[in-house]
Amino acid sequence: MSEMLSGADILCRSLEAAGVQVIFGYPGGAIMPFYHALPDHPRLRHILVRHEQAAAHAADGYARASGRVGVCVATSGPGATNLVTGLAAAHMDSSPVVAITGQVSRPMIGRDAFQETDVIGITLPITKHSYLVQDAAELADVVAEAIAVAREGRPGPVVIDVPKDVQNQKAEWKASHRLRDPRPGGRGQSLTPRASPGPMEDGIRQAAKLIKGAERPLLMIGHGVILAEAHAEVRALAEKTGIPVITTLLGISAFPDGHPLHLGMPGMHGEVYVNRAIQHADVIIGIGLRFDDRVTGNTASFARQARIVHIDLDRAEIGKNVPVAVGIVGDARDVTRRLLAAVEPRRCDRWLEHIRGFTRPRPASFRGELSPEAILGAIYDVSGEACTIVSDVGQHQMWVAKLFPYHRPNTHITSGGLGAMGFAVPAALGVHLARPGDTVWAISGDGGFQMNMAEIATMVQEGLAVKMAVFNNGYLGMVRQWQQFFHEKRYSCTPIWSPDYVKLAEAYGIPGYRVKDAAELADTVGRANAQAGPVLVEFLIEQEANVYPMIPPGGSLSEPIEAAPAGAAGD
Amino acid sequence: MAVLLDDGLVTLNRAVGVLRRRNVPIEGLALHPSGTVGVSRLTFVLKADAATADRVAQQLHKMIGVRSVMLLPSEDSTTEARP
Repeated sequence: MSEMLSGADILCRSLEAAGVQVIFGYPGGAIMPFYHALPDHPRLRHILVRHEQAAAHAADGYARASGRVGVCVATSGPGATNLVTGLAAAHMDSSPVVAITGQVSRPMIGRDAFQETDVIGITLPITKHSYLVQDAAELADVVAEAIAVAREGRPGPVVIDVPKDVQNQKAEWKASHRLRDPRPGGRGQSLTPRASPGPMEDGIRQAAKLIKGAERPLLMIGHGVILAEAHAEVRALAEKTGIPVITTLLGISAFPDGHPLHLGMPGMHGEVYVNRAIQHADVIIGIGLRFDDRVTGNTASFARQARIVHIDLDRAEIGKNVPVAVGIVGDARDVTRRLLAAVEPRRCDRWLEHIRGFTRPRPASFRGELSPEAILGAIYDVSGEACTIVSDVGQHQMWVAKLFPYHRPNTHITSGGLGAMGFAVPAALGVHLARPGDTVWAISGDGGFQMNMAEIATMVQEGLAVKMAVFNNGYLGMVRQWQQFFHEKRYSCTPIWSPDYVKLAEAYGIPGYRVKDAAELADTVGRANAQAGPVLVEFLIEQEANVYPMIPPGGSLSEPIEAAPAGAAGD
Repeated sequence: MAVLLDDGLVTLNRAVGVLRRRNVPIEGLALHPSGTVGVSRLTFVLKADAATADRVAQQLHKMIGVRSVMLLPSEDSTTEARP
């Protein structure tokens, strides 16, 4: 006997069938049938955010931390437009997110109805795919396909726009049999083009030959290594060949900090020795990164001596930003495993010694003792290994990237490509739900925190124990730093007032702390970390500290701005 | 450049959007039935160097709903017969 269900119920059942457990959303007119059906599907936990942007960031955070698809839901019009920043962030950072939006009823589409926006049109360039559902009978297949598309190949966000009358329309429930196993190598129907094995073997042979002949080789690894869970293979490749490893912002934690072959982060705020290593390298093996401008600086002067082997799942990335000697299209884990088998054991001791020679003692660029290093050290001391750090965007993001020791893969989550301020707090919601056993710290500046601090209410309502840290310097610090370096210290519109964060925490009914000097640091961070629920800790840091070193935008990696040595005149 | 793609307004919109997104001006544009049911042939005329054309082709190639992308350099393409 066939079972007739509303489109809304089909939507919910299809999400359940796909294994979705958590949905981040906000109800409204055009999505009300879905919300009417939702209580009948208790396996779908709904997290009511305070702004749809947070729903998209939370779904993104959930996806990055779990490897599963993150789902967000919004109504038509303003609900849908509020998702845009979160979808763009997920698109730039290859995160599998499915956004379900209500739409005005089919007869009203195109008539500028109340709360009608063309969400598919608006999100076309920032989504991997999109569906306007025209009939409830399509819904089960659309949901199954959307989830598969979001995950398979290079992950990305997918929009499903569902008109209100389709949500109310009755149709026969038939579970979708489409795309059961879309994982790389899975037996599902593939929607995205795959690399053919022939040219890949050629590429592997050429890469192995380049590695053998190289005097100054480097591995540069990015987000693709985390997405493909290729950590062990990359480590084995590095250890078999002795090649030093550079991790991009989104590649951080893919290779353990403290490993003798780990150099650190390259690019605009990379340490001088890391960028020098790139400029002196004769072969660079890039795995799962896209050589973006924050990594390369001026591409004309980037790694001019190096022949680049670029391994990426997305064929369109090969040669997009930098010229490539060998391009290999494929999954980072699969290709690295093959490359590992093809390379001969070797060492790079002289080259490592050479790179160590580029290292200089870092001049103290911080006045006072409440330095980012001290704060992050205190957080590390109390949270230990079972900790995931979610950072926002700006100066603190660079400190968090460079100064926190990451030993476990995928424990550093940040908005890299889009650089969306306001990301950390809502994304941390999602990370916490994906990793309930972890301590999750959301670290923001005072600017980014104020963008989405309304989500404290979501944490309280849903009982989500995220630890929030605010690095408060009273400025939009990174913009102020650029103003200092490139705009004659004209601090236009960068001083930013903050509320009393301790009282703010109190207003939300959560513990709040303020740390003014290093003497209070360990004790306060320890107390905050031990709280069962969400907490807020404000750190009053030096107002005009800078992130050093810095490659000016469009500049060469060879010409960093460095901190003035200790004892030199101040700014 | 000739693109075979699945019928559908969203796919068509997305394919044309790739050129705008990558800032490659379109000099000519035509959409025809391909001869296969459910598949259209979209032909772009672009003024672009080989590297740019290849980059656009790669971006189109990875689009869901795009079946094939053919680069048709102008010297190999049919031009108007001289009287």
